[in-house]
Amino acid sequence: MNQKIGRRSFLKAAGTGLAGFPFLAHSMARVAPSDRIRVAHIGTGSRGNVHIKWFSDFPDVDTVALCDVDSVRLANSVKLLASIKPAAKPDTYSDFRRILDRKDIDVITCATPDHWHALVAIMAFEAGKDVYGEKPLSFSLREGQLMEKALLRHHAVFQLGTQIHAGENYHRVAELIQSGVLGKIHTVRLWKNAGTRGLGFPPNAAPPATLDWNMWLGPAPYAEYTPVRCHGSFRSFFDYSGGVFADFWCHIADVMFMSLHPAGLSTIDARGEAPDDGIADTPKWIDVDFKFKDLNVYWTTTPPQVPGADKMSIGAHFEGEKGTLTCDYEHRTIRIGKETVTDLTEVPATLPRSPGHQRNFLDAVKSRGLPESNLAYVRKMTIPMHLALISFRLKRKLLWDAEKEQVVGDPAANFLLSRSNRKPFDC
Amino acid sequence: MTQHLIPILFSMFTVSVFSQTNDGFTSLFNGKDLTDWTMLPGKAPAFKVVDGVVETRPRNGSDLFTVGRFGNFIFRFEYLLSKVGNSGVLIRCDPDNPWGTGVEVQLLAPWTPYRDDLHCTGSVYGHVAVTNRPDETTGIWHQMEIKCDRKRITVSVDGKLTTVADAGTVAGLKEKHLAGAIGFQSNHSKEGEFARFRNIKIRNLDAEPEYVKAGFYDDDAQVRTLACAAAVALGTPMIDPLARMMDEDNVMARRGAKQALFDIVAKATAPQTPPADKKAVARSLKTSMKAKPSEITAVYLKWLLAMIQSAER
Repeated sequence: MNQKIGRRSFLKAAGTGLAGFPFLAHSMARVAPSDRIRVAHIGTGSRGNVHIKWFSDFPDVDTVALCDVDSVRLANSVKLLASIKPAAKPDTYSDFRRILDRKDIDVITCATPDHWHALVAIMAFEAGKDVYGEKPLSFSLREGQLMEKALLRHHAVFQLGTQIHAGENYHRVAELIQSGVLGKIHTVRLWKNAGTRGLGFPPNAAPPATLDWNMWLGPAPYAEYTPVRCHGSFRSFFDYSGGVFADFWCHIADVMFMSLHPAGLSTIDARGEAPDDGIADTPKWIDVDFKFKDLNVYWTTTPPQVPGADKMSIGAHFEGEKGTLTCDYEHRTIRIGKETVTDLTEVPATLPRSPGHQRNFLDAVKSRGLPESNLAYVRKMTIPMHLALISFRLKRKLLWDAEKEQVVGDPAANFLLSRSNRKPFDC
Repeated sequence: MTQHLIPILFSMFTVSVFSQTNDGFTSLFNGKDLTDWTMLPGKAPAFKVVDGVVETRPRNGSDLFTVGRFGNFIFRFEYLLSKVGNSGVLIRCDPDNPWGTGVEVQLLAPWTPYRDDLHCTGSVYGHVAVTNRPDETTGIWHQMEIKCDRKRITVSVDGKLTTVADAGTVAGLKEKHLAGAIGFQSNHSKEGEFARFRNIKIRNLDAEPEYVKAGFYDDDAQVRTLACAAAVALGTPMIDPLARMMDEDNVMARRGAKQALFDIVAKATAPQTPPADKKAVARSLKTSMKAKPSEITAVYLKWLLAMIQSAER
């Protein structure tokens, strides 16, 4: 059995018109700065609808197509768009490949389940589209590598939908940390005080006639349908994602990566349990110790024992030689000695602010520059998440070679860095 | 589920086998020394082997615990109490905190003052009274059997059932561990009194695939978690039963089987697992794949096989 998503076979599937995935790779004339950007949305559930609202609001965006494998959701998104932008007359599709076939579409946004993220993005790059993709970046670590290669080969623009990145707080935290006022940061504690729920033991059912269940599953192993496996709670299953942990990792790890650019990840040691009261199998709780070069990082499912953490459902706590900084998406507290403040005026604002996460992406589409949550950046940020889940599943510590991007001395862990896609989504 | 339960279970079945008889019982006492038992440091040792039997005589010394950890079992032994001897059997306990984690089945001479049914021999001390008071004659050998069958604990003395306890409903038992060491309490009567033990043996139900399998269908989530941990400890012999379970209608059993299969294979892929054990897991997966599983199960087994094969290279 081929354990890797071989790049060649993966891209062959995407690019050469084999059964199931026919379309031609081609280079496109890119969008000029003065041009309007023609956007299509793939995956129009609750998150996709947020994309529709965001992007349709820009004066230089035309929303030209919507796609979902669930015709009920698709119809609802058409209504939503009509309500906010009556002039838009989007074409609708159940198969995203028909959108990629269209040469008049510049940008796709992807709000599919996680197990489709990489495939949709790579095929879009191949088709000459730029991509605004939802988090987490990819289902597997290997997919992230393939995405980056495809992006570079096709000179595409990719932004991960970590919109909190664009906010004032993360920029200010990064400035405060980078200014050195807290001294050298030796420890970061990250937490999200929620885990996957069991979801009970519902029987299998026939998928609704309005849902293309086979296409929803796509590259994931075939499974019988039951509603909780699908919309809204698919992240509870390792077949599609990695639970609440995978849902929130990148949002809060982002402020650490923005501030410190941690490198040299060497060990990952996760503990935890899956729910015992249902079919969900991703972590009910997970605690992980990461060792980076000169930095210890601890993820916990309960807030760490530091002042104020218990009042934050998600957060990051930086420990430096001279003080600490505790933050969530919108708030921060700095503690130096006996002093507790929310800002330090002596630290100048040095980082350019974002015009907004989606605007930043559209500007990059026009300028062909790097957006703020570009693929190289977010891939580095997502690697620890994948490894933590592998350590959780194997119930053992992993040694990581950050240069080669391989687990050292544990072939089964390396096996879990990738997954063979189900036919015909693999070829 | 308490977080510490799982590591305890992974270390189960560490007890060496002196002699396993046809009835599934294994001796826990070799008649010579206290191999497979341990006394915690810090207190004077209170147990020694005298004339082929285990005796506790010094007062309030260290209790005696099995090295092995047991969840579901039938524990049988014979005991003899001196005129006012006072001992007990600790079950499913952590030796560092035996009464906090486990419970004590009482062994007590009927001395003055007379103790009630909640504190006499055979009671789950302080939690569940005997309903059928046993013969408490001192100076003669009696037989006791303690059966821990998931959440049901039963005690019999001299072949007669004395006590039935439901760890799922009795208030003081709900928070106790469902697996741990078995211990004998040191004599804590007055100086010169003693308790003796012989013919100590155990039938470890968690080592029996059929028993473990049945736990996957239990309505109690803790019981299912224990069954899963026991299945992982058993390893290869559970692969085929679990693979078949994956194709049953019972959603709960399917879910448990899928997890246990993953955990068995994951454990076998550990770098320190001997190659022969990896091979045995791979062989068992192949056998299950030949037994015409459903397409979904076949794909899963094939994936697990690829994982163990990656670790074999």
